[in-house]
Amino acid sequence: MSQPLPAEAARARALLSATARQGRGRMARPVLLGLASIACGLAQAWFMAHLLATLLGHGDSGWAEMGAAAALALLGIALGVAQEHAQADAGAAARAGLRRRAFARLLALGPADPRPAGERAALVVDRIEALDGYFARWLPAAILAAAGPLLIALAVASEDPLSGVILFAAGAMVPVGMALTGIGAALASRRQFDALQALSGRFLDRMRGLPQIVLFGRQESEAQALGAAADELRTRTMRVLRVAFLSGLSLEVIAAAVLGCLAWRHGHLLVGGHPDPQAALFCLLMVPGFFAPLRAFSAAYHERMSAHGAAAALAPLLEGEEADEAGLLLAEIPPSVVVTFEHVSLTYDPSRGPALRDLSFRALPGEALVLAGPSGAGKSSVLRLLMGFNRPDGGRIAFNGRDATSLRPSELRRLSAYVGQKAHLFRDTIRNNIALARPDATEAEILAAARAAHVTDFSDKLPGGLDTMVGEGGYGLSGGQAQRVAMARAFLRNAPLVLLDEPTAHLDPGTEAELLESLRRLCAGRTAIIATHSSALRARFTRVLEMADGRANPARMAGE
Amino acid sequence: MSPMLRLLLRVLSLWRSRRGWLLGGVVIAALAALAGVAMLALAGRGVSEGLRHSALTAGAVGSLLLLRPLILLRPVARYLERLATHSATFRALADTRLWFFRRLAERLPAGLGLRGAGDLLGRIVTDVEALDGLYLRALVPGAAAVAVVLAVAVLLGAAGPGLAAVVALPLAAALLLPPLLAPGAGRAAARVAEAQGQLRAAAVDPLLGLEDMLAANGEARATERLMQAGDLLARKQKSLARRAAWGGASGLGLSQAALLGALGYGLAGGEGAVAGSVLGLFLALAAAEVLAALPRAGTALASASAGAQRLFEAADTPPPVAEPAEPAPPPASHAIRIEGLRFAWAPDRAPVFDGLDLDLPEGGRLALLGPSGAGKSTLGSLLLKLAAPQEGRITLGGMDIATLSGAAVRQRIACLTQDARLFDDSIAANLRLAAPEAGDEALWQALERAGVAEVVRALPDGLNTRCGEGGARFSGGQGRRIALARALLSPAPVLILDEPATGLDPVAERAFLETLESATQGRSVILIAHRLLGVERPTRILRLIGGRAIPAMG
Repeated sequence: MSQPLPAEAARARALLSATARQGRGRMARPVLLGLASIACGLAQAWFMAHLLATLLGHGDSGWAEMGAAAALALLGIALGVAQEHAQADAGAAARAGLRRRAFARLLALGPADPRPAGERAALVVDRIEALDGYFARWLPAAILAAAGPLLIALAVASEDPLSGVILFAAGAMVPVGMALTGIGAALASRRQFDALQALSGRFLDRMRGLPQIVLFGRQESEAQALGAAADELRTRTMRVLRVAFLSGLSLEVIAAAVLGCLAWRHGHLLVGGHPDPQAALFCLLMVPGFFAPLRAFSAAYHERMSAHGAAAALAPLLEGEEADEAGLLLAEIPPSVVVTFEHVSLTYDPSRGPALRDLSFRALPGEALVLAGPSGAGKSSVLRLLMGFNRPDGGRIAFNGRDATSLRPSELRRLSAYVGQKAHLFRDTIRNNIALARPDATEAEILAAARAAHVTDFSDKLPGGLDTMVGEGGYGLSGGQAQRVAMARAFLRNAPLVLLDEPTAHLDPGTEAELLESLRRLCAGRTAIIATHSSALRARFTRVLEMADGRANPARMAGE
Repeated sequence: MSPMLRLLLRVLSLWRSRRGWLLGGVVIAALAALAGVAMLALAGRGVSEGLRHSALTAGAVGSLLLLRPLILLRPVARYLERLATHSATFRALADTRLWFFRRLAERLPAGLGLRGAGDLLGRIVTDVEALDGLYLRALVPGAAAVAVVLAVAVLLGAAGPGLAAVVALPLAAALLLPPLLAPGAGRAAARVAEAQGQLRAAAVDPLLGLEDMLAANGEARATERLMQAGDLLARKQKSLARRAAWGGASGLGLSQAALLGALGYGLAGGEGAVAGSVLGLFLALAAAEVLAALPRAGTALASASAGAQRLFEAADTPPPVAEPAEPAPPPASHAIRIEGLRFAWAPDRAPVFDGLDLDLPEGGRLALLGPSGAGKSTLGSLLLKLAAPQEGRITLGGMDIATLSGAAVRQRIACLTQDARLFDDSIAANLRLAAPEAGDEALWQALERAGVAEVVRALPDGLNTRCGEGGARFSGGQGRRIALARALLSPAPVLILDEPATGLDPVAERAFLETLESATQGRSVILIAHRLLGVERPTRILRLIGGRAIPAMG
């Protein structure tokens, strides 16, 4: 992870603070519980001071105060546990909200997002998880680091004003000390963080490509290079840490100085007999408590840093959120669809030139339109537009004469059954993989779809029939079998528009012939658009639109 | 010996050579903690004597004077402790990384990432880094705590055994917390890891099959599944956090018990017990700070041992092909012959090859065709000794490759695999992986042959351009061509090109395949493809069908 740019960092900060604001109620609980536990500590210290003073011959506290101190100790511990629970809840709630939003964005971007699935999944898993520490630990610690010492200093001041002033002064010194020792400290620890990330990134990179390294017989030299890189980074990191740890040192020195000052203040009073030994002891006993929230703050500091990295990765994703809700909903699914393309153009990436230019055609119910042409001609782009995976840059796409682009993409998809080049089987049973297309389908309907697509031809021979687990870690289906499952999905879906993208591309001629029959039945009575290279498939259908270079090739338009 | 202890001892044995650094860190940590104890012991004496005599006595003054250097000693010792322990950790982790890298290179040369979904490899790499918790969060604070408890027991034992019992016993009990809490925390952490895996699957599955999922309008269902997996994970994490919180609470309870024990000792014992009681109170305060880190040590032990388990599981995978005990001297020629080869990836899976025979004379160019799944790439793995045939044999220059070392075979056979990966390094460094001594001219020549020299020349940094992780800097096709250039650069006399033209546009594909003959300069070539364009001019064409190679026409 490299250092985020200033603009990125600002967006990351904005995302974190907006999320914290939304969960204000939940975020307040750990802070309040933390303050209550500090108050408990104060009361306990008060009793202990009195007890100690009694031991030393001042006052007459006894077992009752001892009992109170013990009870307060237990209460303080219970409050601490409750605070941790509240923190975990706050973190979980913030993560759940962000995860839902990020996933919705990934679904809205759809297949147009060029990043690999693993990388996108990392956004909704690892990046979101990395934010937990920010909401669960850093935010409460930051607020308590300010409020806790203030509360303690006030309580101490009410017992002995000068001791209170000493604590106030120390509290004010802490940020100054941290700033002085680490003008570079924050910067330094950030660089250290980056450097360590870079090292583990390099290690992971080489581990991922280990087969290449072994094939070229370079494992030993790579190992040595890795070792040298680690050594060099360690020297650099240690140089940085020497500065970064100074801020911790400054905190310790201030704590020691406070103890020294208070010892001097009360020791000084001792010379003539202390007027209020209870107050003196109370002040001394509160010193560790005064610094505890500050220590917790420094310990949680790295949470903030890793959260910023994660938020910087998430912020750009979440930015287009509002647009996703745009678009009309379908009142009902029409029984048949006439698809019209009028002068449609589409460009994915200006440097690669347009994928579709000025394309016009019409597809009618009951007929199958075959899109033919070399790869790169724009066949798949037509289907991507009809599936709402991409939006046209110009021209008009109409369904039954109405503008289709005004519909929300997910609504657009309700009209179609789609079979892509390579059907994806989810880790589930064959039956559920088919039912994906229409979860409310009955058993009989699923079985009928499986028959129509010749899935039962092979599933009947499997040990579990339609209930055999497939997909990752399950029974491996061949490409042709997987394609038949996809075809069964399309049968079950029973939509007016059938879109097929090279449905037989990866199949051997025998399997292709078997599938063609199912395919014909699937298209019967529906509007079908089929992109294909296959001459066998082309031969089965009469209407062919030859495409080249993003355009229809009118000279070879057959069947019009 | 418990399995957790065994794992952790094995980690420590990996760190053996860094013993000096690691022990040094522990000693400094113990000294820093003892400085804190000494400071509060002196403060306690000063306060008790001062208050009891209502005036500063010589003893109190002496205590306060001694305090001054100690006040500075402790922060400085803490600072040194952090430097020493971190430096020691970096060294130990660097050793672990290298050990793991070498071990995997030896045992899993085909890679680990191919096994199952999710990023097992990424997780193990994180596991290696997380082993620092074993030292920084368990061993160091543990050693400091033991030193403090011993010091407290000795100091108070001198004042009275009863006092030592009420103060030091609860503190000593706190020392037992990490080993007591670790197994439970380990189980809870394992449940968290499992829930994390489910969450990842719930995120990866719909994204892998995104088109099919969207086509089925499955957005709401996929979101629901993801959120449920997220909820489950949050619940498991909460139960882990609850354990940690109660662990922390019991540690806190024990140090409070010591504190109140010291006070109670004074209350019950009357005048004679006061000095000891005050000393005990201040020592309990000093110990509380050091012991506060202990309950978390249990969690650190648990997660370190879970990480170590995954690490060793991967590292202990038996190598797919055992190296011959005494490798035969490498053959003089490099003709390849396959006889009666039978191979299945697993006993319960259909064999990929069943009686495969194949012959590739020196300098021959063999095109191997077949539909996907016919085993074309598997043949590459067998030739490179990444897998071993169940029956039959493969000879290189007349010698069975089973008798040759893997390194010797791979020196003679270079392969452009389908998943050839570029490293996050310069283009030049990526190319030199195949030929470390190659000059710039040779690199350009290879890039030229792979049809990517134009692209590289247009980059401002030319050969020094970094490729990004997995070649992310380049488009898929460009990255593929750079990988191809790397394979062409290799001096190996046999070249396996597994679908070399993937990612090339049709014009470039044709152009490359036309020049294949000159690009490979009389080396033996096995060209794996699912079809031929008719320009490759191979000396033989074989089609893989039903586990055998059948002569075919292009």
